[in-house]
Amino acid sequence: MRKDSPLARFWSEFRESRVAVAALVVVVLMIGVALLAPLIAPQNPYDLANLVLSDARRPPGYVGSGGYTHWLGTDAQGRDLLSAILYGLRISLQMGLVAGAIAFAIGVTLGIAAAYLGGRREAFIMRVIDLQLAFPAILLALVISALLGQGKAQLIAALVAAQYAYFARTAHGAASAERGKDYVEAALSTPLPARQVIWRHILPNCLPPLIVVATVQVANAIALEATLSFLGVGLPVTEPSLGSLIANGFQYMLSGRYWISIYPGLALILLIVAINLVGDQIRDQVNPRLKR
Amino acid sequence: MSAGAPLLEVSDLTTQFFTRAGVVKAVDGVSFSLRRGEVMGLVGESGSGKSVTGFSIIGLIDPPGRVAGGSVKLEGHELVGLPPDQLRTLRGRVVSMVFQDPLMTLNPVLTIGEQIRLALEAHQKVSAAEARSRAIAGLAQVRIPRPEATVDFYPHQLSGGMRQRVAIAIALLHRPKLIICDEPTTALDVSIQAEILAEMKELVAELGTALIWISHDLATVASIAQHVAVMRLGKIVEAGPTLDVLTRPQHAYTRALLDALPSRAKPGEFLLRGGGVPDAAPPARRPVTAAAPVPGAPYFVADRVSKRFEARPGALCGLGQKLGLVQPPPAVMAVDEVSLVVRRGEALGLVGESGSGKSTLGRMAAGIYAPSSGTVRFEGRPVMSAGAEPKKLTIRVQTIFQDPFASLNPRMRVSDSIAEGPLAHGLVDKAGSAAYVRDWLAAVGLDPAFAERYPHQFSGGQRQRVAIARALAMQPDLVVCDEPVASLDVSIQAQIINLLMRLRAELGLTLIFISHDLSVVRHLCDRVAVMYRGRIVEEGPAGQVYDNPQHDYTKRLLAAVPVLPEAAA
Repeated sequence: MRKDSPLARFWSEFRESRVAVAALVVVVLMIGVALLAPLIAPQNPYDLANLVLSDARRPPGYVGSGGYTHWLGTDAQGRDLLSAILYGLRISLQMGLVAGAIAFAIGVTLGIAAAYLGGRREAFIMRVIDLQLAFPAILLALVISALLGQGKAQLIAALVAAQYAYFARTAHGAASAERGKDYVEAALSTPLPARQVIWRHILPNCLPPLIVVATVQVANAIALEATLSFLGVGLPVTEPSLGSLIANGFQYMLSGRYWISIYPGLALILLIVAINLVGDQIRDQVNPRLKR
Repeated sequence: MSAGAPLLEVSDLTTQFFTRAGVVKAVDGVSFSLRRGEVMGLVGESGSGKSVTGFSIIGLIDPPGRVAGGSVKLEGHELVGLPPDQLRTLRGRVVSMVFQDPLMTLNPVLTIGEQIRLALEAHQKVSAAEARSRAIAGLAQVRIPRPEATVDFYPHQLSGGMRQRVAIAIALLHRPKLIICDEPTTALDVSIQAEILAEMKELVAELGTALIWISHDLATVASIAQHVAVMRLGKIVEAGPTLDVLTRPQHAYTRALLDALPSRAKPGEFLLRGGGVPDAAPPARRPVTAAAPVPGAPYFVADRVSKRFEARPGALCGLGQKLGLVQPPPAVMAVDEVSLVVRRGEALGLVGESGSGKSTLGRMAAGIYAPSSGTVRFEGRPVMSAGAEPKKLTIRVQTIFQDPFASLNPRMRVSDSIAEGPLAHGLVDKAGSAAYVRDWLAAVGLDPAFAERYPHQFSGGQRQRVAIARALAMQPDLVVCDEPVASLDVSIQAQIINLLMRLRAELGLTLIFISHDLSVVRHLCDRVAVMYRGRIVEEGPAGQVYDNPQHDYTKRLLAAVPVLPEAAA
């Protein structure tokens, strides 16, 4: 990496905030353990043959029939909670990233197209998006997942529908500002084909605010997925995400078996807070008003 | 204190900025003195430290900057090292400041009267009625028409010149002993600048205020200041009575600044003895494969073109207009039925003040804006297609923009910026594009090794060279130059002018050169068209228009241009 490359400068500024670096480490660690879950988890929580009912609802530190310690205890089916959390993290991150990426693609396409086309088409696209932003995202996601049923693809559709509008709004704002700048006029007056003007001139210059929105929206997608799963309209019990794990333990909360809900909840909070802290730092760095 | 003692004595003033990249000495040992009622010009190019000197005098340096040494004595009292609250009691009362952009210094949510009241209350107790009458008197003093009404206006309701007058009125409120003006007329049109210069001269003489006039423009300084100091890299390189410095410059830098001015050279002559002109010739043109010109058609013609800008109503307002409940805002006729012919090989200058429509006309000529009515034709064929989504039809008309910081894509290497147009139109193939870019960089006087850099790694003058290379790499016949040197320092401006003259001769280009600077246009152009309020009021050979203007507006415009004293032979 060259010393004056934009990325190197970005990193040297990023490093100045210890909180952001710590948050980034947490995010990377969590993604790492989620990816490696099949290798490092003591148990495969999806394999029902592994589960022993006599191990159910044991507190943290219990040495189960498998011969290993359940550091975070077990749930109502006798599943090792640490393994369940690692696998749950995997599913939550997967949902958040895939939904975020699809919402990004759809939203940015709509936003930039609206800004580039202008006129009635711009007005139409943006009013539809405004209309959608007026609905609470959770309500929209609930309705869609209730209509489509349970399953990963259905849930992703619900998350995308609830989130693409934020990307579209941001992309539209950024692209409208770039559209009026001299370098875009220069490209149009060359003339370059519209496709090239959009891809090579407008889009790259819209990316900084979009990256910020993307980090925050991935965190939001994970939270939204957890909410839907908690409410029972998200993922099926056979593929528990962090949200369904929390829901599973919810009924035992008052009977003192706190660990079944609390530990997945803590993992969820840690993940979302860490992503948001990283996002905050990136936002501060790309905001020229805060530049020293 | 005797009248002979200096009002302000600055000695060995040093201001440093402590940045990531190290310590920057913005002001490096500056010394001068100023008597009561005296006007001193502080001249220099950007980065010379002239503004920082002004700020340092009244203690307006913010971290990471700091006055690191030296002394500033006002009537014998030391200002350097004074605590902020004591400085505050001096600012506005004893020393005041006028900035370049009054839109930035006036508070947009307060009326003029309220701002003047606040400025008064900063140093004395006044009743509301008294403040108002003082405000009206202050506005009348700076020749603002109908001060009783203006006092209730908000800044946005005033023109740039009026806003600057308000800023001057506020600066004069407490009858300060010293006023520091930082580029006060740079953002204004020449005719407004001429008025403000004349008024300022009178006011200073009348009130006996000393004035420091900071400017990059030697001619404006010459018309107001008795003394001038030329700054470069934080140091004063030459100082003395204005007439002496400008007619018998001692320092090489002062001489170079003067030599860079097109008004002091013969039209068409290389400035600075040919500085900035590259040795490399531009790459050979590919034979034109475009359609032959329509026989008998003029080379380039704008035929009764108009451009109307309509305010786009919001949804509710639009509905109101349809129902006749709301009056639609009047459309602005930026260009109003203008006809213009450009002959092959000539350079046509388009001059006018801001809002005259010269840039809009240029953008229609370049195929960036579609005219609201009328057509623009190049060799008999329209430059843009008609219809709801007009497209540019020819690549033989290209544009060079004013601001090289804005006209290059910041996220693209300059090699890509230059090559993408020629690649898209088949002027060069992928294999040959790298060599083509290098040839063009050499032809505009840049090191071909710079091809892989990003725009932010270049200085302003270098970026404008890149922008010129990008336009010319499209192998145009006609180039629309929209204020290509307006945002550059004089010495860089001279080099870019030289480069344009050289490339025009090499390539046989036809130019439409848009500028507010009459001397640049005279230097470069064969013919001049003067625009005023969306129309061309006068058009003719450059010498004729400049020496014998016919239209009243042209006469006023030419009279407003500040003139440098002639150099002694």
